[in-house]
Amino acid sequence: MLYALLMLWHERARYAAGVLAVTFSAVLIALQVGLLLGLFKITSIPIDYTSADIWIGSTAVPSVDLGKPIPKNFVSRLAGLPGVSMPEMYIANFANFTKPTGGTELCFVLGSLLDPEAAGALTLLTPEQRDALTMPYAIIVDESDVKRLGLDTDRSQKPKINGKEVTVVGTVRGLKSLAAPWVFCSLYTARQLLGPLLPPDHVTYLLARCESPQRAREVVAYLRERYADDMTAYTAEEFSFGSRWYWLTRTKAGLAIGYAAFLGLIVGMVITAQTLYSATVANAREFAILLALGVPRWRLALLVVTQAFWIGVIGIALAYPVCLGLKYLALQFATDVDLRWQILAGTATLTIGMALLAGLFALRSVQQIEPMSLLR
Amino acid sequence: MDHEQGWPKVTATGIKQLSIKTTTLGMVSGMGNGTKTAVLRGVRLVKTYGDGDSRRVVLHECTLELYPGQVVLLMGPSGSGKSTLLAILSGLLEPDEGQVLVDDEGQLRDLWQMAPAERDRYRRRHTGFVFQGYNLLPALTARQQLEIVLHWCGDYRDSRRRVDELLERLGLQQLQGKKPAQLSGGEKQRIAIARALVKNPAFVFADEPTSALDWENGQRVMELLRLAAHERQAAVLVVSHDQRLLPYVDVHYHLEDGYLEERGLPA
Ligand SMILES: Nc1ncnc2c1ncn2[C@@H]1O[C@H](COP(=O)(O)OP(=O)(O)O)[C@@H](O)[C@H]1O
Ligand SMILES: [Mg+2]
Repeated sequence: MLYALLMLWHERARYAAGVLAVTFSAVLIALQVGLLLGLFKITSIPIDYTSADIWIGSTAVPSVDLGKPIPKNFVSRLAGLPGVSMPEMYIANFANFTKPTGGTELCFVLGSLLDPEAAGALTLLTPEQRDALTMPYAIIVDESDVKRLGLDTDRSQKPKINGKEVTVVGTVRGLKSLAAPWVFCSLYTARQLLGPLLPPDHVTYLLARCESPQRAREVVAYLRERYADDMTAYTAEEFSFGSRWYWLTRTKAGLAIGYAAFLGLIVGMVITAQTLYSATVANAREFAILLALGVPRWRLALLVVTQAFWIGVIGIALAYPVCLGLKYLALQFATDVDLRWQILAGTATLTIGMALLAGLFALRSVQQIEPMSLLR
Repeated sequence: MDHEQGWPKVTATGIKQLSIKTTTLGMVSGMGNGTKTAVLRGVRLVKTYGDGDSRRVVLHECTLELYPGQVVLLMGPSGSGKSTLLAILSGLLEPDEGQVLVDDEGQLRDLWQMAPAERDRYRRRHTGFVFQGYNLLPALTARQQLEIVLHWCGDYRDSRRRVDELLERLGLQQLQGKKPAQLSGGEKQRIAIARALVKNPAFVFADEPTSALDWENGQRVMELLRLAAHERQAAVLVVSHDQRLLPYVDVHYHLEDGYLEERGLPA
């Protein structure tokens, strides 16, 4: 361990190539995942702009837009749990939007209670908008979807959702959508719009608030264990991350970063292996005499692998501030890079694993060391 | 068995008659009782290189012994096979024929009949090496060059103190914190000798240890090798083509055209 570090430090110029290769790979991976996860925040917006701490939905729902109806009476399952608010109902389902100008779009209807304490009400709403939404068939959309939904032109015709006329009572900023525009409305309106798509006495989610994040985790763990058969529970954080991760991995985007990260790893590994290899070969005579003196060959192998490990660790240590710097830079361009600790930890694990693998490849150099070479 | 028939008389300085009674090669010199037992005996060693037309016999049935407390000088022209013989005796290169008999924990054994792992273990315990190039690790201080050998041979016990004592005895303690780049050639070679001695080996094999040094430093190196033999009872084999080393050694062999013969020493 000590000798490995001494040798690394002594030949830092030589090992720098390996360290930088690791840093490069790590930055590439962390930033790509972070960037895409940042972009895929779009998929978890309904969760992120509500104030619920706990989401309860159908079994193993992977993403917020894929919840299946659950019976309302699951509410009773939360009754009496200390530290948890009275759960409220939430409806989330795809629907067909008919533009005033004709033509249709797929939209995603979100229906929630609207009173000021409601956990499911969009936090983006003004009090006036909440009031307006209590009117039957009143909806709100994001301003970025106005054009797409054909709401910018003809005001004389009303848009329809699933064939029922709706009134757009306002727009918000931040309810951005990827595929289907989000349409926010009251629980009542949502039920009317979805009609037979939602069986009576069913909702899509049950939302609750908790006295603390810690309590939320406990409650969720309890519910998951207790009712594993017909429902699932998430903390808002988990569900949000899960939704993003789901879409990230399900779409080509996930594949693309997987591929880019893989390339980055390969490049990093080749350079690291090459660095270790040439460093060992450069010291071949010094190592050869150690072998002659009876040092077992595995000591040299361990040295190389240990050096690989440290190259990985140092590379990661350098990558970390670089990632943060780039994240800050991206923010200047209104782009969010999500660098949560899971991403950083995952990147660290991957790149250190890569460095160790490079060390294993470089072991060839140790095999070539021959005490007899000293006599020539 | 061949080796039971007795050891040839050796006319080296200070050694009158060799004990030939046992089949074991006593590792410890019989200090005070006037007899010494060889710790290593190369018997009719043959080595050829190449095949067919390029086939060349480098060693013709070479036989020699190493004794504790003795410095043996092996001389001969360049290319005569000195390094080859050293490699065979020290367990680095397998001979085509012949034996290298050693005392392994009271048992007489042929080094080249041992399993490779056993031979490695034997080398780890008993042999030290010095080469013409000093081969010190550039990243390590003089002291660490010694410690790494002990540590990597799995010998951590008292390593600090043992290294201290050795450096002090060899007069090298003032070099202990220096890295190779800060040392002169002579200093490097002296540290390399200290490294060879740190395990307190029964043998020290030195291949051209003075060839890269000026005569003054060469003398110092020879002094250390003598100290290893005379004070620490190592059997030291020095390979060189430098006549000036003769006054420093106890036995002198000459190798030429594949034939080894013992020669006299200057009075
Ligand atoms: N691996 C080898 N293959 C073929 N020939 C060798 C090999 N090693 C040494 N030789 C030859 O054997 C002879 C003796 O070599 P060496 O023992 O190194 O001599 P010395 O140390 O006396 O200079 C030389 O002619 C050398 O070219
Ligand atoms: Mg030679």
